[in-house]
Amino acid sequence: MIQVRGLTKTYGARPLAHGSSAVRAVDDLTFDVQPGKVTGFLGPNGAGKSTTMRMVLGLDRPTSGQALVGGRPFATLAEPLRAAGALLDAQAVHPGRSGRDHLRVAARTHGLPARRVDEVIDQVGLGPAARRRVKGYSLGMRQRLGIAGALLGDPAVLLFDEPMNGLDLDGVRWVRRLVRGLADEGRTVLLSSHLMSEMEQTADHLVIIGRGRLIADAPMAEVMRGEHAGRKVVVRTPSTDDLAGALLRRGLQVHPTGDGDLLVEGATAETVGDVALETGVAVHRLAEQQHSLEEIYLDLTGDSVQYRVAGAPEPAGQVRA
Amino acid sequence: MTAATARVAEPGTATVLARAAGAEWVRLRTVRTTWWCLLAAAVATVGIGTLAALDEAEMAAAIGSTAAATVAGEYGTMVGQFALLLVVLLAVTSEYGSGAIAPTLQWTPRRGVLLAARVAVPIAVATAVGVLLALVADVLAKLLAPDLVLSSGELTGSLGGVAAVLVAGGVLTAGLGFLMRSTAAALATVFLLQLVLPALLPAFGELAADVGELLPGTGAVWVLIDALGITAGHATTLLVGWSAAALVAGGWALLRRDAG
Ligand SMILES: Nc1ncnc2c1ncn2[C@@H]1O[C@H](COP(=O)(O)OP(=O)(O)O)[C@@H](O)[C@H]1O
Ligand SMILES: [Mg+2]
Repeated sequence: MIQVRGLTKTYGARPLAHGSSAVRAVDDLTFDVQPGKVTGFLGPNGAGKSTTMRMVLGLDRPTSGQALVGGRPFATLAEPLRAAGALLDAQAVHPGRSGRDHLRVAARTHGLPARRVDEVIDQVGLGPAARRRVKGYSLGMRQRLGIAGALLGDPAVLLFDEPMNGLDLDGVRWVRRLVRGLADEGRTVLLSSHLMSEMEQTADHLVIIGRGRLIADAPMAEVMRGEHAGRKVVVRTPSTDDLAGALLRRGLQVHPTGDGDLLVEGATAETVGDVALETGVAVHRLAEQQHSLEEIYLDLTGDSVQYRVAGAPEPAGQVRA
Repeated sequence: MTAATARVAEPGTATVLARAAGAEWVRLRTVRTTWWCLLAAAVATVGIGTLAALDEAEMAAAIGSTAAATVAGEYGTMVGQFALLLVVLLAVTSEYGSGAIAPTLQWTPRRGVLLAARVAVPIAVATAVGVLLALVADVLAKLLAPDLVLSSGELTGSLGGVAAVLVAGGVLTAGLGFLMRSTAAALATVFLLQLVLPALLPAFGELAADVGELLPGTGAVWVLIDALGITAGHATTLLVGWSAAALVAGGWALLRRDAG
């Protein structure tokens, strides 16, 4: 169980400087991560996922708020690897040490036997490469080494920061099976990603953030039904202007689509149908727009995307006709 | 099922510290750089120290006097200490370069424990090796130039001085490493404070020389070579004061700042 309470982190804040260049990376986040599930921690690049995880692990000091792992601040634990294991950055390993020696150092801090090191090496499939220096490892091998380190203390809580980044399809499948297995054993698993597609087949629950703020904290199924995203309805009518006027008076956002239909935001088919009846206009087509999970995600986080490649098309959820 | 396992009693701080120290030792011996540094220290201390002692023996003989064999270990340490201090420095700073400080702090999140282990173990190793190398240099010099005097009293005092210089230099180095988090910056600073400035400043006039007398290297030179006109109290104050200040500053950075 991970408890995040009002967690806030401002980087570069100098108490005496005014007109600041301070970045509020995480902004008053509160959520729980429950055992027995894979919780997807989702948000665009720069949303504050890594910063949150670093604060949970006591690496960065919160500006305010706190995070608890198994009911205690992580940085106070005598045997932290038994409480939580984490892979934050697979590259953050001394390149000159072998993978096995890296794990032996970790084992030594907890009085774990060398046998345990070999067990996790087998579990992640690092095999004979474990005796080579990390310098020569591919990204996938470094990820496996990092995951081995996270599993070493047989912890109740696991945090993985973008573990699928840069992995090939086999690697992605392997991570998926692994986290599923860990959750099924009753562990708490927090898995971050900036891609909804990675979560679709992996997570049971989603915590979505944007610009450091909580956007949604809900079961996957609920998010998939679009309950947290703005609903959209497409309506076709011969009396476009009358219906559009009536919908606008209701405070709904209406956009003409290219082919003569109206796109109504934030409404259900029922609402639009009722308005049409009241207005006395004919309806030839009425459809709630089907969202892919990716679109729902983009819809939820659209306003919070900080970095977008110049000239790249706006995400689908943001298209204004 | 792990998640439901009842909480067992946590080990005490002494156990946690002993484990962290053990981990530091494994860290040191599992990277090649450590061994290269120790090899360099051996060559510098024994090689240069012995040559310097042979030179002393010759000069002493020319005026019908004798010199102490312990100058070998002392001169050798003047040079060889930098390879040993590099072991200490890399133990601290290399993890900031690679980012490996993050996993380290996940394994040992009590930062006071990490500070204690990471200062104690590398400095203990560097000091033990440095004293051993000084001893080898002294004995080798005596074997090559039997005129050199090697009394056990003088040897004990000399090796004690070598140990003091290495411990003080090690703490200064570790502290600066934690503070600066950069191998290059901390290495340059240690080099300037410990060797270059104390040696150069006297050549730049009296004011500069006065400044030089405030630097930690001046204390080290006094202990090893006794070439400077300062008192034992002054030298001790320099060595202890600078290491304590660096340790406080570096410790503050490790304990209070973000991991890095
Ligand atoms: N050490 C730091 N110093 C200053 N700003 C930082 C630092 N780390 C992260 N940030 C900023 O905080 C924000 C959140 O970053 P991050 O937590 O890495 O996001 P994510 O992991 O979701 O991509 C970004 O704007 C990033 O530039
Ligand atoms: Mg990140």
